[in-house]
Amino acid sequence: MIRLVQIELIKLFRSTRTYLTFGITLVLMLIIDLGLYSDGDELFNYLLQSINDYFYLEGNLVNGYLISYLALNTLWVHIPTLIVIVTAHIFSSEFEQGTIRLLLTQSASRGECLMAKFICMILYVICFMIVVALSALIPSVMIFGTGDVPVFIDGIQFIQESSFLSRFWKTLMFSTIAMVAFSSLAMAFAIWFRNTLTAVLVVLGLLIVLTLLQTFVFGIFSSWQPFLFSYHIAKWQLFFMSDIPMPSIWNSVYYLIGMTFICYVVTYIKFNKMNISE
Amino acid sequence: MNILEVENLSLAYGKQQVLDDISFEFKKGKIIGLLGPNGAGKSSILKVLAGLVFADSGKLKINNQSQTEFHKVKSITGFHIDSPSFYPFLSAKENLYLLMKMNQKQIDIDVLLRKVGLENVGSKKVRFFSTGMKQRLAIAQTLLRSPELLILDEPFNGLDPNGFQDLIDLIQKLNAEGITIVVSSHLLNELEQLAEHFILLHHGKIALDISKKELQKSKNKVEFNFISELTEASIQLLNDKKAEFISENRLILKLNPKEVEQLVLALVHNGNSPVKVETLTLLQEKYLEITV
Repeated sequence: MIRLVQIELIKLFRSTRTYLTFGITLVLMLIIDLGLYSDGDELFNYLLQSINDYFYLEGNLVNGYLISYLALNTLWVHIPTLIVIVTAHIFSSEFEQGTIRLLLTQSASRGECLMAKFICMILYVICFMIVVALSALIPSVMIFGTGDVPVFIDGIQFIQESSFLSRFWKTLMFSTIAMVAFSSLAMAFAIWFRNTLTAVLVVLGLLIVLTLLQTFVFGIFSSWQPFLFSYHIAKWQLFFMSDIPMPSIWNSVYYLIGMTFICYVVTYIKFNKMNISE
Repeated sequence: MNILEVENLSLAYGKQQVLDDISFEFKKGKIIGLLGPNGAGKSSILKVLAGLVFADSGKLKINNQSQTEFHKVKSITGFHIDSPSFYPFLSAKENLYLLMKMNQKQIDIDVLLRKVGLENVGSKKVRFFSTGMKQRLAIAQTLLRSPELLILDEPFNGLDPNGFQDLIDLIQKLNAEGITIVVSSHLLNELEQLAEHFILLHHGKIALDISKKELQKSKNKVEFNFISELTEASIQLLNDKKAEFISENRLILKLNPKEVEQLVLALVHNGNSPVKVETLTLLQEKYLEITV
């Protein structure tokens, strides 16, 4: 299995699009940093206007930690998009290039080939999230320094500077699990449609529709929320509450791991029975 | 000993029956030609053999291993199915290296590239390869596993005459090394000079299953054309051979190759040298029958 994973990694890291996603992430982060460097003070004064009337705020409010947090908030749709472009391609490119015939006529079984690609997908998501973390954190801390972070979840809460980094890394770990689950969905569609673009469109379309349903907190959609993966993916925000609700987070972790497992099993069954006739 | 046995193989894509109760077997060490017009079912048989497509019914055995033990068989079989496809962003050497690693084999890739005539372009990215170069690379990848059986699907597609002859030479060379080779093609004449056994397919059924030896012994349709008027002796001779006259100077006979030689000599002796003797082998006759 290790040699099959190595082969998949060679294919992945010899492809330009893998580095493009890393590059785009870095550029996005730098744009956010530069934007806030020039207009950050005005923006935060505007956002904090209401509480400025009642409280005296002291210290470095526009700091690197806050910007890292805001960057994660801003890029919640960009990150999954970039990830699924690559992860769907890991599976469907073999069909698009016709190399699926080459792959399946070698001595490895279909199950082994799929597992190697799945592991490669997880490794890519981990790499990508590391790039996200480092590009969110390093330039912003270098430019703006560190400080306490005001967070708007159920009103304003201040996250202490000393606890920010541990929350940030936990968020990234959770996001990695969420992105693996999301990529697994992309994998299932990539194998089903045998085409990257279709798989990416379907999976992003699903994310958008489900996120929209999730915004209706009351009414007929409210009871559906716990069953929507978009609901669980968004739980990373809870790491920035003053008291982190771990049971709720664990619940989402189990949901996302379960979703990954189901996607893998469905893909495995489909792939094993698939006729490569064209 | 048989290297390949196919028994009552059937396959349908939806309502379209692609293979209909096909059975055949091949002996080790031969070159087998799988013939037929487009859509006859040639590629489908090979895809079933390669494990890319699952047959609806029937039994398959490669080197005495049944379909359930195909993972064992794959290590001694080289497949080139459909048009050659490789990772375009990798060089020829890198493509072969990946496949070698996948098959856990240690093979000198430079030697392999020399064998198929690609030694000078090993470091070139495959996306810049011509069709002929890709066909050669496809053959090279089939040899990575030191196969006992090679399955080549339409390997002559897109080749120029030089590339075509080179490939025929390469296939013959590999066969001389003891490798059994199954070649599918719709190019009848080209396959006729290469293969030792032929299976002609039509609408997913076997229209003809014949060896080259049987073909040589069988009576072929031979057309004779003369310019000069036929002598009495020649007419008598041709009538004895049950010739079918199309015109005064043009006739058709059913003869085997030896009889053709003897008849030509006799006709020359009678003062009638044929200007054209055209033989349509049983295989060509059948092929024409199903394609026209």
